[in-house]
Formats: sequence, C-alpha cells, structure tokens
Amino acid sequence: MNPGVLTDEVTKKFAEKLSSKITDQLNTGILILDTDFNIVMWNSFLEVHSTKVSNDIIGKNVFEVFSELPERWLSRKLSSVLQLGTPNFCSWEQRRHLFELPHTRPITTDCEFMAQNCTFLPMEESGKIEYISILIEDATDVCHYQGQLQKALDKLALMSRIDGLTQIYNRKHWQESLEQEFAKARRHDKALSLIMFDLDNFKQLNDHYGHQGGDQVLIEISKTIGNLLRVEDVFGRYGGEEFAVILPETSILGAIELAERICQTVANTPIKFKESNIIATVSIGVAQLTERDSHFESLIMHADDALYIAKNNGRNQVCSGSDNELLKQVSA
Amino acid sequence: MNKLHLSEDEQDCLQELINVAMGQASDQLARYLDSFVYLKVPSIESVDADSLATTLDQQQAAMAVVSQGFFGYEGIRGEALLVYQDEDSERLADLLGYEPDELSKDEQLIDISSILTTTFLNVFASQIENQISYSAPKLLPSRANSLSEHLEQLTFNWDLALKVNINYQVTDYSFNCNMVLLIPETAINNIKVVLNRILEEL
Repeated sequence: MNPGVLTDEVTKKFAEKLSSKITDQLNTGILILDTDFNIVMWNSFLEVHSTKVSNDIIGKNVFEVFSELPERWLSRKLSSVLQLGTPNFCSWEQRRHLFELPHTRPITTDCEFMAQNCTFLPMEESGKIEYISILIEDATDVCHYQGQLQKALDKLALMSRIDGLTQIYNRKHWQESLEQEFAKARRHDKALSLIMFDLDNFKQLNDHYGHQGGDQVLIEISKTIGNLLRVEDVFGRYGGEEFAVILPETSILGAIELAERICQTVANTPIKFKESNIIATVSIGVAQLTERDSHFESLIMHADDALYIAKNNGRNQVCSGSDNELLKQVSA
Repeated sequence: MNKLHLSEDEQDCLQELINVAMGQASDQLARYLDSFVYLKVPSIESVDADSLATTLDQQQAAMAVVSQGFFGYEGIRGEALLVYQDEDSERLADLLGYEPDELSKDEQLIDISSILTTTFLNVFASQIENQISYSAPKLLPSRANSLSEHLEQLTFNWDLALKVNINYQVTDYSFNCNMVLLIPETAINNIKVVLNRILEEL
C-alpha cells in the first residue's frame, strides 16, 4: 500500500469536509443552478434567511422558488453567463435587491430587504458550462451608510445656499442664480426683471424692540414674501435688511405689479413680537434687463437706483426704472 | 526599448494576441447579442501613462465610464475602463436583448461593459493559458472630468494603457465605445514574461 495515496485521500476528504463547513458558515449566500435554472444546491445562509426548507426547493426552478425575481430580465442575464462563459454582476447601487431576504439590521436601517451584491459565475464541468453559481453578498450596511452620507451631503449643499436666519437663499447663491438667469435671458431672448427692497427704518426698529425683535421681523417678512412668489422666482437675502427677487421671464409691468403686492402685504401684516404688533414697511426698486446691459450687475445697479429713489421719496413705496434716465415713480 | 517598456517583438506579439482575442470575442458576442450584429475589427493603440489623459481629452467629455478590475495568475492584472459618449447608448437595452423598462440606463451600461470586458479578457486569458477573475463593474460618478479624476485616484500606478476602440455596425443599433485597459508596471513585467515564453515557442 502506498502511504502517499492514503495521505492524499485523507487530505482530500478532510479538505472537502472543511470547505463544505466553510460554505455553510459564510455570510454570503450561495445558490447553484443548472442550465435550466433549477436549483442544484444552496448554503445555510440562504436556507436560514429565506426561511425555506431544502427539501422543498432542491430541483425546483429558481423563479418558482423565488417568485420575486424578475424572470425575463434575469433569464437573459443568466443566459449571458451560459453562452459567453463569463461572470455577470448585479449591484445594490442599481438594483437594491434581487432576493427578498431579511437582513441583520432591521431596527437601525430603513431598508425592508437585505441590499445585495450578486455575482453570477459560470461553472465548467469537463469543458462545458453545466452550472451557474450565484453569490449573494449582504450590502445592507454599505447601502445604509451610503444613504446617510448622501443625506449629509444634500444637507450641506442646501446649507451652503441658505441664509441661516431667514431660510431663504443667501447672497452667494442668489448672485449665482442671477448670473445664470442673465445668461438664459440673453440666450433665449427672454425678459428678466429684478426686485430689490429694504426694510424701512430697520435701525430704529432694532433700537426699539431689540435685535431679537429685528430678527423676528426679518424672518416673518421673508415668509410672507416667499408666499407671494412663483416657483421659478429666486428670493434671496442680499445684505442685512436688504432683499432681492429674481423674476425670470417677467417684464417690468409684471414686476411692478408683484412689487406693489409685496409692499402692501408687508404693510398690512403686523408681526407679533412679545406683547407688541410690529408694523414694518419696505421700499422697493424694480428694474428690467435692457439690451444695453452687458452684465448682470448692471441690472442690480438699476434696481438699486430705483430703490434709492423709493427711499428718498418717503419709503413704503415702489419705484421702477430700467434705465437711469427712465426712472419713474409708480406709487406713493 | 520604447516608452512602454516593450520590445518591438513583444509589442507585435501582444498586438497579435489582442487581435485574435477580439476576433474570437466578437464572434461570441455576435452570437449572444444577435447574429446580425457586426463587430468591426477594433483599432488598438498602446498609450503610456502620461498621454492617455490627453488622448481621451481630445474626444468630447465622456458621458459615462464603467470600471472593472481583473486579475489572473502570474500577476496579470489591471483595470478595464469602458468610455461612452452620449450618443453611443441610445438603443442599448435592445442590443442586449432586454425590454427597455426592465432595467435602468446605468444598468444597461454596466451590463454591456461587463460583457465586453469579460468576454474579451477571457479569450485573451485562454490564449496565454491563464484564467482571469473580475471585480464587479462600477459606474464612475458622472461628473465632468470624472475620468481624469479617477485616473489620479487609482490605487496602483499604471504605466501602460491599451486603448481598444469597439464599434458595432448594424443598421439598427448605433453603438460605439472605447475600452481602455490600464496595466500597472509590475503586471507589464509579468506580461513580458508570458510574451517571451510565447515568442520562444514560435
């Protein structure tokens, strides 16, 4: 008797036993299909997670056992493995899960099923592909943290555009938007108007009610005006008590109409602060982009000029002008 | 010795292996996709690390890039990048034999990429009596310059890039893409060993 053969035999048996044990302890699902997509074997991971019984599923068609699988699509995918002899993949990033399996973090995540990375491998038997091995990896953790990360990034992106006090756009984002709207208006030959306004006598208001009172007025006015705008209008805090609204595809007439409404609504909406009702008013300058304006900043300048006149004329009013020479007082 | 550290014989041998591999792969692909699909013999260029970015930049900004790692015996390894332009993928689902509503555009790109890469490299591997495994294909985040950013962030220093232009010609599908195989220096040396073995056998 050749001792070498015996040792080899023993080693081989031991290795087989070991690998089947490992297969059953893996945190990865293994499912072997034949070329007709009937289940040949699976490992404990799948048996435990699918709460199905081996005897009921071996030899059965995979689409019958896992009825949640998209049959037409997956059959085509599996046929690429058989025909080309190449692996194929399915990632949770494109398809959250294939198999509806529970996962180990049902409490701490909001995923209903285990997010999965699936690999489909061809298995050759004497030069011919006889089986497909499907590996199912639990990607719920990755998926969950990726989701958290994305939420955090979205929040950061929003925060970088928003004014902390009034929750409307900050100066930086507002100005970027104006630059874009300017380019759009020029490209498509569309009207573009701008409303700029100042809270009247903000200093006295602050002195009288304190900074908290002043802040309250800024917050409430932002809310009130926000409700008067269209979705496409861009409302931002330009400076301390100075605000601005970009009005895409709006002529000076439309802009004046809106400005009047803003002016009246603000004056007619008392702001509750502690025991008092604060009556705030705004002075508004309106301008429309003219052909002569080669830069978006000249639009700001025109609206600012009009605003200056509105203030000089006694505040709480709208003044418009798309050009310095054409300033026209609209209401008193 | 040229810039790519391959001798003329080695380069010729590699080119020949790739041509044959592409031929066989396209035959398999044509059968899998549809017998009417005609895959043109691809143009192959080898590009060194410095000039790849410029070569790719000359084209329009890529719409999508799919990356897939590969690794075989004898230290053959690298990464395959499949680069698509916007108009390349209009009828991908059709080409792949899926219904358009069965899978997203991203999935279609990943699917075709993986099929092209693994079919080609499998044939290539069998020619050099090797066997290659693959990591799951990934769609790179779609940002302008994502390709050059990706090249900068790679975990290995790659020294050779093989640029294979794949072109399907069939009346119904207009599909076009660039396959770029990035190969690190150590792997080039390993490929050289294999190439020289083949050259000696001739």
